[in-house]
Amino acid sequence: MISLTLDGRAIQVQPGTNVLQAALSNGIHIPHLCHHPDLRPSGGCRLCMVEIGGRPNPAAACGLLAEEGMAVTTQSERLTEMRREIIDLFVSDHPLRCVTCDKNGVCALQRYAYDYGISETSFDFELSRTLYQDDNPMFVRDHQYCILCGRCTRVCDEIVGANAIEISGRGFVSHVATPFDWAMSDSTCVFCGNCVQVCPVAALMPRGRIGMGREWELEHVRTICGYCGVGCGIDYAAKDGKILYAQGFPEAVVNGEFLCVKGRFGWDFVGNPERLTRPLVRRDLAHRLGLIDDPFSLPEESVFTSRIGVENFVPVDWETAVDIVAGQLLGTVEAHGPDAVAGLTSARCTNEDNYLFQKLMRVGIGTNNIDHCARL
Amino acid sequence: MSTVIRIGTSTCGQAAGAESVVSAVNAYVDRRQVPVTVQRTGCLGACHNEPLVEVTDNDVAVLYGPVSPERVSLVLDRHFGGGGGRWVDPSWILSRRPDHDDFPFLARQTKVTTRLCGVIDPMSLDDYLANGGYMALRDALRMPPEKVIAAVKDSRLRGRGGAGFSTGTKWEITRRQPASPKFLICNADEGDPGAFMNRTMIEGDPHRVLEGMLIAAWAIGASKGYLYVRAEYPLAVKALRNAIRQAAEYGVTGKNILGSGLDFEFVIKEGAGAFVCGEETALMHSIEGQRGTPSMRPPYPSVAGLWGYPTNINNVESFASIPSILLHGPAWFAALGTEQSGGTKAFALTGAVRASGLVEVPLGTPLRTLVEEIGGGCKSDRPVKAVQLGGPSGGCVPAELLDTRIDYEDLRRTGAIMGSGGMVVVDDTTCMVDFARYFLTFTQDESCGKCVPCRVGTRKMLGILTKICHGQGTHQDLERLTRLCETVRTGSLCGLGTTAPNPVLTTMRYFEREYVAHVDAGLCPAGICSMRPGTSTRAA
Amino acid sequence: MHRRVSANPIRRFNYQGDPLAEPAPADLMEILDRYRGQRDALITVLEEIQARYSFLPAKHLQYASRELGFPLAQVYGISTFYNVFKLTAPGRYQVRVCKGTACHVNRSSAMLDHLSEKLGIHEDETTADGLFTLQTVACMGACSLAPVMVINDQTYGRMTPDLSWEILSELVATERPRV
Repeated sequence: MISLTLDGRAIQVQPGTNVLQAALSNGIHIPHLCHHPDLRPSGGCRLCMVEIGGRPNPAAACGLLAEEGMAVTTQSERLTEMRREIIDLFVSDHPLRCVTCDKNGVCALQRYAYDYGISETSFDFELSRTLYQDDNPMFVRDHQYCILCGRCTRVCDEIVGANAIEISGRGFVSHVATPFDWAMSDSTCVFCGNCVQVCPVAALMPRGRIGMGREWELEHVRTICGYCGVGCGIDYAAKDGKILYAQGFPEAVVNGEFLCVKGRFGWDFVGNPERLTRPLVRRDLAHRLGLIDDPFSLPEESVFTSRIGVENFVPVDWETAVDIVAGQLLGTVEAHGPDAVAGLTSARCTNEDNYLFQKLMRVGIGTNNIDHCARL
Repeated sequence: MSTVIRIGTSTCGQAAGAESVVSAVNAYVDRRQVPVTVQRTGCLGACHNEPLVEVTDNDVAVLYGPVSPERVSLVLDRHFGGGGGRWVDPSWILSRRPDHDDFPFLARQTKVTTRLCGVIDPMSLDDYLANGGYMALRDALRMPPEKVIAAVKDSRLRGRGGAGFSTGTKWEITRRQPASPKFLICNADEGDPGAFMNRTMIEGDPHRVLEGMLIAAWAIGASKGYLYVRAEYPLAVKALRNAIRQAAEYGVTGKNILGSGLDFEFVIKEGAGAFVCGEETALMHSIEGQRGTPSMRPPYPSVAGLWGYPTNINNVESFASIPSILLHGPAWFAALGTEQSGGTKAFALTGAVRASGLVEVPLGTPLRTLVEEIGGGCKSDRPVKAVQLGGPSGGCVPAELLDTRIDYEDLRRTGAIMGSGGMVVVDDTTCMVDFARYFLTFTQDESCGKCVPCRVGTRKMLGILTKICHGQGTHQDLERLTRLCETVRTGSLCGLGTTAPNPVLTTMRYFEREYVAHVDAGLCPAGICSMRPGTSTRAA
Repeated sequence: MHRRVSANPIRRFNYQGDPLAEPAPADLMEILDRYRGQRDALITVLEEIQARYSFLPAKHLQYASRELGFPLAQVYGISTFYNVFKLTAPGRYQVRVCKGTACHVNRSSAMLDHLSEKLGIHEDETTADGLFTLQTVACMGACSLAPVMVINDQTYGRMTPDLSWEILSELVATERPRV
């Protein structure tokens, strides 16, 4: 362990820890924009500059390995002045339209501008990038908000490996681009949206979220992704019971902040009116079991809106449905033996569900005829 | 000894028309059937007199310049008779002595790294060998690497790229790294506008650089050496390719060099035009085939450089100094310079000066010697106003401080830097605000865009300077500019950004009155700035 | 709300077949084959492609990416980072005016303005007849002969605005012979 002091506080960290991580994990917040714990340090935003005892010039904490006996100052008049200047430079190239911005409340630049009291730039305002790219159904890239922190390009390269985007051009006019500024769909993008996840400002936004509400109005629900067996943690942000976007969260054990395209953007089925919400029984069976009198009459309220064959089903309650299934299964086992029954379960179910299902098949039914789609 | 006619055909010579001079000389030789050797050499440094022609015959050596093709037969007739002794303008004769002691431009110099530039044929290995070439390498390979490093440390050679870090110490750090393989990089990405030291050295004497690198490879234990050469230097690349091929044939590259067990190969990497690639981490990214953006140090390249392996990066001039150190001994080299830094430094002396070109002087020489004795003052006969050192990363030293010694520490005290060797002299027709603005235009253009202080900060600095040059500046702008300079200087990620404010800071420090005149009176004292918005500043 | 998603319909991905179904031109493959498997070669490859085709055609960058295994985004990022690389075809004569310090002090910008006016193009533009591309260069290292102009690989020193145009006029005369 390495011992160092942060603002006079003695702390201990593992060798190889950088000063920024050391500070953050000890509850000392050093402003940072380009740093992300899962990405290699970049050192481009220059906000995390700290003073080191015995060194004349401040250094970026994100690229500074903690050393034994190091005395780090994270707040000082000089550092505050410098951070104010840097934020001032940032907002000279970033519209401060926070009032109507969808990132309002969760924007890192806004946070620091607030912390350091920068309400507008003292320089001449000049936008270097004005492109607005909404060429795909997943997310929108609004270049005027981009601060070129490079998190999106790094996540695409280091975490995802899609290498769809890279900073193109040089200097003030450089921008994040697909090859030849093609549409995202023509690039190697896999639309995992992890770039959207790590964007600290409003440059990358989920398409469905835009204009749908302010961050503090949203309800966050954390759950496990149902798409496959990996078990990624997902945080759904919803307003008035409708999901606006999905995001990862750092505490998720399996995936951290990162998701795949299905987890991040494949949730629109949730609110789909065609989704089954109640058990349905085929009309002829329902008639045979005495659940309905007239096999040809239509139900009063239709459970479907559009599907052809609506009239072939009858909605029932869960108890009835389970009774029917159990009865049919038992009948089959009695008549043809347990191996006449086979079970196929789904990756969309949880691990626990799958476990119980095979238990049901093996112990309840008495067959090993059990399979799972994720086995393939 | 037979008669040799030497013609300087470096880039500078070619720009002055040296190729047609070579043709004219060859035609003359063919016509007159005179028994001479016509030799194409590098640049002697006296670029202001290009094209240079030197005729050496037994102990006589006459240096002519500038020699246009029309003057060729006039000049050569003096040596080979004929023409009825036509009159040759005495001003064309620059020197009549083999050591050029009668030519003030060359007489005041001490040539170490450029000793053979303009003297030998850069395409000829034999020429280099005849002048002691690869002797130092032979000596070095018989010494243990530690002793080579000790010699370089004792010589007090410091990084000639401008930072001034002890070369020997850098080698030692790289040698101590356990990781293998180790790489060597020769930084020839001479991006400073107004600098051509590396170009002259490579074009004039490429083998010296290779020899320096080979000695470094032995000392450090490196197995591969990259020569990163600027894209704008096609002749230098040609000279290096030829030299590497010759070195391979001669047996000083490849496997088991001269029986020492050292394996080493050279790779030439042509830059693609990015000033920031002179910064070592950016340069390494460029070699790796990435965008040439810098990354944070530490880790320093000596510890984790190219692809994470220990990498030693030195400037061309540092490498070119190495053979002399080993041949003449570290004490000799150290004695040339000052207490802290040994040896000589080459400068590209340009601008308003009468005699411009490549100049090599011992460290510790006062700036005045270069500007007045070697450079001969301003060609306009106007007073020298300032000397700009180190290009866009450097600063201006005003005429009052011309007695400053050329030394890393002394120059830093003035606010300027040693830099890689660009030295631009300006007379009083130059507006210092416009001059600072010129450098900012360059830096702003060359900023890679990775860090904010440089990407946005230099642009805002340029904006303020442009306002001042257009007569719209205020005192608040000056104050804002000063504060911004401090932010960019301390806040930037790499050397490009941290040094970008230097031209502004030094001109503000020494020529504050000019800034104030622009702001208060709306006047450009030098009459350069148009003082009107939306117009080109230099209204030629 | 200020930033509505624009009314543009989302472009449907329409598979048009492999854009690189045709094999790469033989002379391009010759370059690529020489650098196969060399991870430090990308910039050198681009330099060679540019030397052969005088610029970097988009399709050739795609071939280079596919053949050598460098992500296309990286190839494009590099092509736009370095000054040397051009993504559009330049004129037959690339006229580069040096902007180095010595040239600046010796008023190379006046030469640039003059050429720009005479050719009727701005910096980094090409004349309509495809003859001249006007560019600037940071420094040619021929500072003692400032101001310097470079046409393709030929350096011209000690220029004046008029002299520079004279040289270009001669080229014009040879290229556009009077009928």
